[in-house]
Amino acid sequence: MKVAKAIVTAAARGQRSLPLQTLIDRDGQQKSVLGIVIEEIMRAGVQEICLIVHPDDESAYRSVAGDAARHVTFIPQHDARGYGHALWCARDFAGKEPFLHLVGDHLYVSRTSTGCAQRVVETAVKESCALSGVQATREALLPNFGALAGKRISGKTDLYTVDHVIEKPSPTEAEQHLITPGLRAGHYLCFFGIHVLTPAIMEILDAQVAAADRVPTISAALRELAGKEKYLALEMHDYRYNVGVKYGLLNAQFALALSGNDREDVIAMLMELLLQREQHARERGPA
Amino acid sequence: MSRLTEIITSRDPQVRDRSLGEVCGSASTAVLLEECAALEAYRHTASNLYEQVRALFFLYAIHRFYLPHAGGIARRGDIPFDGYADLLNRRFEEAIQRFLAIQDHQGPHDGISSALAAAYRSLGFQTLADQVRASVRSVRGNQWMFRTGHPSDHPLRINRRLLQRTDGLFPVMHERTPVRMDLSHSGWSDIFFLGMDFPEGARVLNISVDLAVREEGTTAAPTPPVEAYVRVIDAPVIRLVSTDLRTSIDCTSFAQLFDFAADYLGLLKAAVIASGIVPPGMEGAHQPLEELLARMIGPGLGLEIVSQVNGIPKGSRLAVSTTLLASIIAACMRATGQTASLDGALTEEERRTVAARAILGEWLGGSGGGWQDSGGVWPGIKLIEGVVSGEGDAEFGISRGCLLPRHRVFTAAEVTAPTRARLQESLVLVHGGMAQDVGPILEMVTERYLLRSADEWKGRREALRLFDDIIGHLTHGDIRALGGATHRNFFGPIQTIIPWASNLYTESIVTRIARELGKDFWGFWMLGGMSGGGMGFLFDPAVKPRAQTRLHTVMREEKRRYQDGIPFAIEPVVYDFAVNENGSWGTLHCGIDALMPRAYYTLTVPHLLRRDPRELSAAQRRELEQLTASSRSVPSLDGTLQGIVDRMMPDRGAQNAEELSLDDLLRRYGFDRTHHEQIKADLRSGRIGLAQNRLPINTEIDDVDAADVADCTAPSPEEYLAIGEKALAAGSVAVLTLAAGAGSRWTRGAGTVKALHPFCRLGGVYRSFIETHLAKSRSTSDRYGVQVPHIISTGYLTHDAIARALAAEENYGYGGGVHLSPGSSIGLRLVPTVRDLRFAWMEMPQQLLDAQAQKVLDSLHASLMDWAERAGEATDYTDNVPMQCLHPVGHWYEVPTLFRNGVLQRILEQRPGLKHILVHNVDTMGANLDPALLGRHIASGAGMTVEVIHRRLEDRGGGLAKTDGRVRLIEGLALPREEYEFRLSYYNTATYWLDIDRILAAFGLTRNDLGDREKVHRAVRDLAMRMPTYITLKNVKKRWGKGQEDVFPTLQFEKLWGDMTILPGLACSYMAVHRERGQQLKEPAQMDGWLRDGSAAYVNALCSWGSG
Repeated sequence: MKVAKAIVTAAARGQRSLPLQTLIDRDGQQKSVLGIVIEEIMRAGVQEICLIVHPDDESAYRSVAGDAARHVTFIPQHDARGYGHALWCARDFAGKEPFLHLVGDHLYVSRTSTGCAQRVVETAVKESCALSGVQATREALLPNFGALAGKRISGKTDLYTVDHVIEKPSPTEAEQHLITPGLRAGHYLCFFGIHVLTPAIMEILDAQVAAADRVPTISAALRELAGKEKYLALEMHDYRYNVGVKYGLLNAQFALALSGNDREDVIAMLMELLLQREQHARERGPA
Repeated sequence: MSRLTEIITSRDPQVRDRSLGEVCGSASTAVLLEECAALEAYRHTASNLYEQVRALFFLYAIHRFYLPHAGGIARRGDIPFDGYADLLNRRFEEAIQRFLAIQDHQGPHDGISSALAAAYRSLGFQTLADQVRASVRSVRGNQWMFRTGHPSDHPLRINRRLLQRTDGLFPVMHERTPVRMDLSHSGWSDIFFLGMDFPEGARVLNISVDLAVREEGTTAAPTPPVEAYVRVIDAPVIRLVSTDLRTSIDCTSFAQLFDFAADYLGLLKAAVIASGIVPPGMEGAHQPLEELLARMIGPGLGLEIVSQVNGIPKGSRLAVSTTLLASIIAACMRATGQTASLDGALTEEERRTVAARAILGEWLGGSGGGWQDSGGVWPGIKLIEGVVSGEGDAEFGISRGCLLPRHRVFTAAEVTAPTRARLQESLVLVHGGMAQDVGPILEMVTERYLLRSADEWKGRREALRLFDDIIGHLTHGDIRALGGATHRNFFGPIQTIIPWASNLYTESIVTRIARELGKDFWGFWMLGGMSGGGMGFLFDPAVKPRAQTRLHTVMREEKRRYQDGIPFAIEPVVYDFAVNENGSWGTLHCGIDALMPRAYYTLTVPHLLRRDPRELSAAQRRELEQLTASSRSVPSLDGTLQGIVDRMMPDRGAQNAEELSLDDLLRRYGFDRTHHEQIKADLRSGRIGLAQNRLPINTEIDDVDAADVADCTAPSPEEYLAIGEKALAAGSVAVLTLAAGAGSRWTRGAGTVKALHPFCRLGGVYRSFIETHLAKSRSTSDRYGVQVPHIISTGYLTHDAIARALAAEENYGYGGGVHLSPGSSIGLRLVPTVRDLRFAWMEMPQQLLDAQAQKVLDSLHASLMDWAERAGEATDYTDNVPMQCLHPVGHWYEVPTLFRNGVLQRILEQRPGLKHILVHNVDTMGANLDPALLGRHIASGAGMTVEVIHRRLEDRGGGLAKTDGRVRLIEGLALPREEYEFRLSYYNTATYWLDIDRILAAFGLTRNDLGDREKVHRAVRDLAMRMPTYITLKNVKKRWGKGQEDVFPTLQFEKLWGDMTILPGLACSYMAVHRERGQQLKEPAQMDGWLRDGSAAYVNALCSWGSG
């Protein structure tokens, strides 16, 4: 199996401007979120990228993509029918090949020299199947993620066969269906936001889109995929930052800075800020 | 290996199901003690929970029923106070070890066996209850709720659709849930403990039903009786509203939500917690509730949860409270994304989660139910069965069965539409109106089941066979045969297992209906734990309308006939019903339909209208606008505006009537206002009170010596028998039965007359206490050829009712002369002082409850102390029906009342040879004119001879003591320290033999003075002044709504006859009698043991029931 294509969704309401935001990357260079995502993909050896965008956003995205824009095919999502539909919009781009999939509002920071997407792609190729990056997540965060139940593959510490997938499960559902042996109590395998998917996913989404009474969802499609073919989950120990939540961008910036070349400077800056605040508070005395 | 441990551990059902009686029935004392030692050793090593529990129940039963009757067991011995204190504090294991140490040291004796029996039984139930709780917590889907302790960890989010306002109104989530009825009566097999031990035998035929209370002139169609509503509100609170209890609160803190007894909304709070909205793990969290609501719903927003029960009274045996819990939980789960859908039915998995959480809610609220009680969540007719636990189940390896059963809904092919229709056309559902406490029944069932008592076990198997018959008849559509089977079940196995499931009221109704409707009456069927409340009658459909009308009339007539002796909570009710084929059903109301039910607005709008309109939120103003518009066009809101106006206008008429009525009663019964005001002043100043009942701390209190008490438990010498028989034959003895008091522990403050309660079937017929006492006098009269005068002392609570009953029953055919001695003293109850409540609840040793129930009780105590402060400490208690505001002033007055009211004088005129009176309490069933005891009394020359019994653990409230060297009876209230009671070997039975002339002398009177009313009155008053006055706390019931009850503690005073033993001029002697004679029936829960340990048979043998 070879993964040569990637699909990034960035058309969701309220997230459309997020990939356009600018950050200082680990190398000290100013980049857009989109630029960092594209770099993450290319680091995984994938050169053909498809970006699903709102029809009004293509030019803005193209401008922040800079040189990398030549690797990117822009596909507009004309009907706002959700995430699953957005992915489905890239069915022609994907063709009959497996593809890497990321969401446009997340940034990933690897703890090793291998990139996060790179690791997912390499494992998927090695296992020759669909594969999703997952992370053990405490149940308080379940309202934010799709989650799955899996069985650890004998002899592997970080690979699971996927049995069941639920989008943003309630803790009740999670406890009833998503307990994965080996995880701490109240922790579930939640999607990390990076997947390698096979063409079967587009067939499943095709059927979902055709059913007029249903909103196509990735989780439902992945649940179906798990029943159809080999589908694995890779437990990631890296960092993922959702820039779409409150202070998400700030958090991502700190994370990038603290793991990059300017780490010492940033720590000094933060310390100084905190000390100043503390001193100021002491001078004011107790409230 | 001991035979009993072999029974417990055997894999062979033939051996495992053998009864304890088979081994112990004829065993010697030595064998019994060896078996006890083996069981005690075994239970510490057994890993299987149910084997441990069965060993505990075997140990209990041996100490309760077998050892006390075995030869060589001493009657007298110590019960250590420390062990008793351990029992109160639920340290059962420690208590057992202390009691066993005493048994080892002193040898086995009656007292220590009673203590061991209590401790083993309590530990058995505690172990079972702990296991159910552990299982509830470990159910998948519930576990997360116990580990979520901080608002920031809360993983639930409101369903976004509930946030989408239309026309300014938040949508309303509406859940409607039918109640369940058990068509088979399951033989109580839905008790969790039973289902978890013997899942194969736990089977229930459970039907979801809609109801309408049938009232003359109305034709309301049956609807789901339980409804819950949930919506978002623009205030950061959890607002709980119960339209049927007519109350609401805004919860702003976690502490408030976890305080279950602070108001009437404990059940709603338990539901909110069990639904996960505020998970149980958050109990004690200090963060503001607002923080959690902001995370779950949004900043500044909250939730409103409304419950409504449509006209079904409490005690319906239709599991209304569990259904209400389930309905609210379902609505809350829908609102927080824990179900797939906001609308329509729940999935099977969701129903199971709701059921598990309803069990959790019951545990949180300190109540309990059976495992079929959430059956209304499922649709239609279903079979609910126990499930054998397997690998992967939380119960595997611990119990044989799972906590939750399996529900199999019958399809239309299995139970056809015509059959369902025929069932509806045949069945008449009623609420008989009786107030009941099924708790003791459920404990009895568990106990008997674990002991595999032979008859009951046979009954259980018979019930299982009948269950198969019922299923067969239902699937074949034969409703007539089904009625026959349920009827046989009630009159066969159900009563074999638990005789107390039936009662005179129920059987009278069944007998009359069977007689009137003949072959058109197909059968009776009991709902729930016991009969008298919810019941079913099956008829030929052709006569159903007539049967409904007749049943209503018959129930009302029978209620009137028995209501003096049997507690009723409500007037009997007949329902119309329909099978509900939906189960719990959700509907999301949006836009102008997003309104609450009519009762909600009549409850809440008056408060809103009294506020400044500017204080109302935008949503509240919009809702009022919409309500005004909709109340003119929406039929279900018809009359809302009128209801609001009615509620805003105070209703004064009823209050005036009650106040006048209480004054009338006080005047009628000779209330002494001066004495009353003195008591109030003394209470307020602290001169008298619960703590002041006690003797000075330096009083020396010791046990009596053997020589102080004549042991009459062995056969008496012939000489006493001869003296007694001679006196009886000479007609020199009368009986005085003390029946002036209500017997509040028996009637639980219900205001009925204990003396008239048909408490037990004796000689094949239900008998009241009075009838039983007269039957003993008849037996004596017949034997000695005399007519024994039988006096019954009465009071304001009991006189009219007893007089009516005696007249109606023609003195139960007793020809010896029945004399009523009406009392003429009365007190007015007082609101307690907080000081006295604190003393009673915090300074006296109290029975600690199971942890959750104790929390509920502590919270209740706190709110009752608030109530006492608000109502005014030591002020008159008048906020109840008048009869509940009065109190009798103690049985000391009942003997001198005989002098004052002329009854004794009249009897003496008729029978000048009368010399002695046997005085006994109405509940001392074994007391009779025993010639040997009478002979000993006469021979002793005493003015009064007191009967005492050897103390057992349960005999609390004083006893026979030596105080500062003098032998006397001492009340428990007067003991300076609680533990002193445990030094006393003998307990007062309150049975006294009086020498009439010597007693009169103690009052400074002779027979000849009895005509001089003034002298008698003065003599009585003078002696009364010398008698101690005790302040006591009595729980009084206040009824309201549809069978709802509150219990309030009130203060009252009393003087007690036992204190006559302190009079220097009155010679007293003491006789120890055996327990069957001396024990008193204070609580209905004693009845089962009383029947099983041979006491009932003993009493029956003393009686001659006559031809009536």
